[in-house]
Amino acid sequence: MPPLRPPFAAIDRRTSLKLLASAMSVAMASCGRPEEEIIPYADMPEGLVAGEPQRYATTLCLGGYGRGFLAIAVDGRPIKIEGNARHPASLGATDIFAEAEVLSLYDPDSSKIVQHKGAISNWEDFETNWSKLARSARIGLVTGRILSPTTLARIDALRGRYPSLRWYRYEPINDDAERQGARLAFGQVLSCRAEWEAADVILCLDADPLGHGPDQLRIARAFAQRRATAPRQKIYAVEPAWTLTGAAADHRLALAPGGIVEFAKAIANSLGASLGPIRLAADEAAFAEKVARDLRQAHGRALMLAGRAQSPEMHALCHWLNDKLAAPVTCHAPLDPVMEDHGQAMTALAQDMRSGALDALVVLGCNPIHDAPDRLEMAQAMDRVPLRIQAGLHADESAAHCQWVLPLSHALESWGDARATDGTVSLVQPLIRPLRDSRTADEILALLAGEEQRKAHDLIQGTWRAKAQGNFDNWWRKALSDGVIPGEAAPPIVPPPPKLVAPPPALLSTGITLVLAPHHSVWDGRYANNAWLQECPAPFTKEVWGNSLYLAPEDGNKLGLADGDSVDLSAAGQTVSAPVAIMPGQASGVAWSAIGQGRRKAGRIGTDVGCRYAALLAAPFDWRVGDLRIAKSAKALVLHSTQTHTQLQGRAEELFQTTRPGARAEAAKPPPPSVLPVPSRDDYAWAMVIDTDACIGCNACVVACQSENNVPVVGPEEIALGRDMHWLRVDSYAVEKNGQARRGFQTVPCMHCELAPCEPVCPVEASVHDHEGLNVQVYNRCIGTRFCEANCPYKVRRFNWYDYSGEQAYADQGDALKAQHNPDVSVRGRGVMEKCNYCLQRVSRARRTAEKEGRKIAEGEMVTACQAACPTRAIHFGDLNNADSDVSHKRQDARHYTLLEELNTRPRTTFLKRVYDDGEGI
Amino acid sequence: MAQLFRPGANTIAVALIVALLVLPVGAVALSYFMWESPYATDQNMTKAQPVPFSHFHHVSEIGLDCRVCHTGVEKAAFAGIPSTHVCMTCHSQIWTNAAMLAPVRDSLASGTPLHWQRVNRLPDYVFFDHSIHVAKGVGCSTCHGRVDQMALTRQAQPLTMGWCLQCHRHPEDYIRPRSAVFDMAWTPPSNQRDKGLALIRQYLIHTDHLTDCSTCHR
Repeated sequence: MPPLRPPFAAIDRRTSLKLLASAMSVAMASCGRPEEEIIPYADMPEGLVAGEPQRYATTLCLGGYGRGFLAIAVDGRPIKIEGNARHPASLGATDIFAEAEVLSLYDPDSSKIVQHKGAISNWEDFETNWSKLARSARIGLVTGRILSPTTLARIDALRGRYPSLRWYRYEPINDDAERQGARLAFGQVLSCRAEWEAADVILCLDADPLGHGPDQLRIARAFAQRRATAPRQKIYAVEPAWTLTGAAADHRLALAPGGIVEFAKAIANSLGASLGPIRLAADEAAFAEKVARDLRQAHGRALMLAGRAQSPEMHALCHWLNDKLAAPVTCHAPLDPVMEDHGQAMTALAQDMRSGALDALVVLGCNPIHDAPDRLEMAQAMDRVPLRIQAGLHADESAAHCQWVLPLSHALESWGDARATDGTVSLVQPLIRPLRDSRTADEILALLAGEEQRKAHDLIQGTWRAKAQGNFDNWWRKALSDGVIPGEAAPPIVPPPPKLVAPPPALLSTGITLVLAPHHSVWDGRYANNAWLQECPAPFTKEVWGNSLYLAPEDGNKLGLADGDSVDLSAAGQTVSAPVAIMPGQASGVAWSAIGQGRRKAGRIGTDVGCRYAALLAAPFDWRVGDLRIAKSAKALVLHSTQTHTQLQGRAEELFQTTRPGARAEAAKPPPPSVLPVPSRDDYAWAMVIDTDACIGCNACVVACQSENNVPVVGPEEIALGRDMHWLRVDSYAVEKNGQARRGFQTVPCMHCELAPCEPVCPVEASVHDHEGLNVQVYNRCIGTRFCEANCPYKVRRFNWYDYSGEQAYADQGDALKAQHNPDVSVRGRGVMEKCNYCLQRVSRARRTAEKEGRKIAEGEMVTACQAACPTRAIHFGDLNNADSDVSHKRQDARHYTLLEELNTRPRTTFLKRVYDDGEGI
Repeated sequence: MAQLFRPGANTIAVALIVALLVLPVGAVALSYFMWESPYATDQNMTKAQPVPFSHFHHVSEIGLDCRVCHTGVEKAAFAGIPSTHVCMTCHSQIWTNAAMLAPVRDSLASGTPLHWQRVNRLPDYVFFDHSIHVAKGVGCSTCHGRVDQMALTRQAQPLTMGWCLQCHRHPEDYIRPRSAVFDMAWTPPSNQRDKGLALIRQYLIHTDHLTDCSTCHR
């Protein structure tokens, strides 16, 4: 990865004089302006208004599960993803993966053209070559999870043509344990979905339902609804390391994996099972007893969840306990038609390739060489298959071992259909013609199967023509514009009574256990080449561009390690190196990190970022490594972080204020007088209130802001210098209450102070107020003194040290990414200060729309990008002049407070205190 | 030995001293003048276009309304340049073989758009919206001049920030009834200021906000 270039290499006196002279002569000769062209359409699409944004409902997948969103296109260029309120997996919100897809679409490193053995080829040659395969050929098809009805039909057709087809389906982040657990408990595989909103007491055993994943938005919305209504939902989290759920929980217990099994047994014993003696410390046992009491008391409204890393027996035990508690859980038949376990599929794939059981291999939209543990030696095994084909968004690690590399279309340029976690189907519709010579998965499968129908659009219509009711064209148009197909949600099943299964004791490793989780932003590595996601800070350490190892303070002390040290980790003869972060509140005996990084061939952004833990794994997708040996490393690896303090020398309590449920408000004091002029409030008075009690720290707002406001990426070298460009950051706080470690999040955009300290210090009046109370930055006036940044007490101003958006962009990727830019927002050049402006372009659009219609902007009409993205609706925005607006009400809330109120800056952005329920003695 | 400084040296010295004072001031004054002058603003310049389109012919002689071709002017920021298909609505019937229109026919046949040279150009950091101006009674001719009289389109006004601000500071001097927005021949009445002030109230124009930086720059 090339670092940022400074504007000039060191120049001597002669060169600088030459440059000065040439610049002067050029300046004199160039008084005219460059010519600009207007290029209208030859044939303008119907209904299009040039330059105006258009919204289309479409579907983006995560781990094979569809999530419906609205994609915004301007003049045919997709520039932003927003939520689709009609889709049950979005409910109007977005997550970081969805927001970042729009950058992936334009990724200049994408696979562009058909390649054969490294040489440029074409689809026709590929087809000719493929058709030489005999019908009896033993073909291996490797894919991720596929729930799309059309793609499943294509695979059936492929099997029809090649009867000995073997389909290997795997997801690195999978539900193997859940499925096996259901089989143990019910005797059949069932998908069980927690009805979060119906539960009063929830116990999460190493489960992270509020964490990133295909179901995050649904659960986060339910969580927020419960937070907004009384009685307060009680969430208990028992986990080895911090998760978003653990941070949101009122009561949390850090336990090593072995302890979690004992904890579950303790709960089961107190609910009528007899699973023998429990090995828990006294305080842990007391915690378990109180949780069990709460669960019992909330019979019918109590819920237990086990995490995906827990054993099948633990899942079975959870089913039994949920049955005992009459928990609000809905079961339905599994959506995935493949019964084989994901881990088994991966092992079988390696075996079959090595034993010569395959004549041809098609890797479709997945990356087995990266995903498999090194021990499987996937690359060598793959080389033994005579014909190897890879179709993917990138020519990745697996493509390097294939003769044919086929470009796969991005979802935003494809027709398709996808199924959500609840079975709801929605259509994938393209917003743009494929930017490269790519085809969709359906088209590639149809080509492989030699089907007559080859166009994705026709294939999708073919699937639904039979199922649609009434006039197909009307049905089709409605399905497209709504973004959901009605009546496809999986019907609920009443499960048989679950059996009680005793979980085997987890291997109580005497040393340290490595616990691996999906990465907070690159997931299993598939988003590694997305610069927005690489620079999206980790929830607790705010680490970017990496996946360091987190250790509990006790273990850090024992091993003589401190924050920022580098370590060598070894298990079973393999060694990897990573930087270390010390995490108070993590269970001792646990080393935690995330998979997904350490890609060897991701592209200019994602290659060789972070650490690849797959070298240490014993079996595929078994994300636990016992008896880890940790030694201080000779390497000096860097942990890149955007926030280095979480406790702020004891001032955390002042900045991140907390309260107890039902606490009364203190009487508001009138603000002290000021010598600065108070801006008028005659038209609109925009303000924002952020509810830190609803915030789960998911970062959706951060990436949404980046996408909306053309915020550039700076890269790890700049981050190491303390520079970053996010207009909105999510601060992570570590506070201690009653001896319990607590975490909390505070989203910090610009405060839009009424008496803004940045304004009087600007020598060119580039930092000024407008009549609606926005503290705006006038880029074309700014001369880059950075006085404003120095004088801002909230540290929300960002300076363009280099031309981050243009010539000196990180990993200089050329012009392709410019198409993603929001045309309503200036792209800032070098030497200019920038910051959050409450989505000024949206305020302006709302104002112009309202004024054209001769009315005021209605409540709820003006929505900022961060507010629109937020799955928990923690961000409230509106007009303070309207006493009835949501934001005015929130300002009257008992939990309302102002950040650094003593400075009398009178911010328009204010906060609601985080509530910690300390009741019941825990 | 001859005199080192001849009599003429006095004159040169005086001229130099005067020049030292006058030249910098003059240079700054000249650049200010040049900056605002048509030389720098491209005011009144015509540009070579793929087709020498005449607004005079289409508007004055034939009587087409602005909105026939500039369809976005009432609903969007960008007024819109007609697609080749719009040109060919008429020109598939009349002047079907005119040599002048060959690029238009080629564009239709090949599907490649025409490349027009932009005449009225604002910097990229200015976010101008046609629709709001039209809705609030700013006429086409206020900024674009008598386009109906232009055989070849040119920029009628300097389009500098100072020029924009004249109206943003005192819109009452320029705005007209909505019914007259597309009237090219409209001239301000003698009591324009009073009528303008009445229109400001009628159209609910928030004059305070008009001079905020954020109105045009973001």
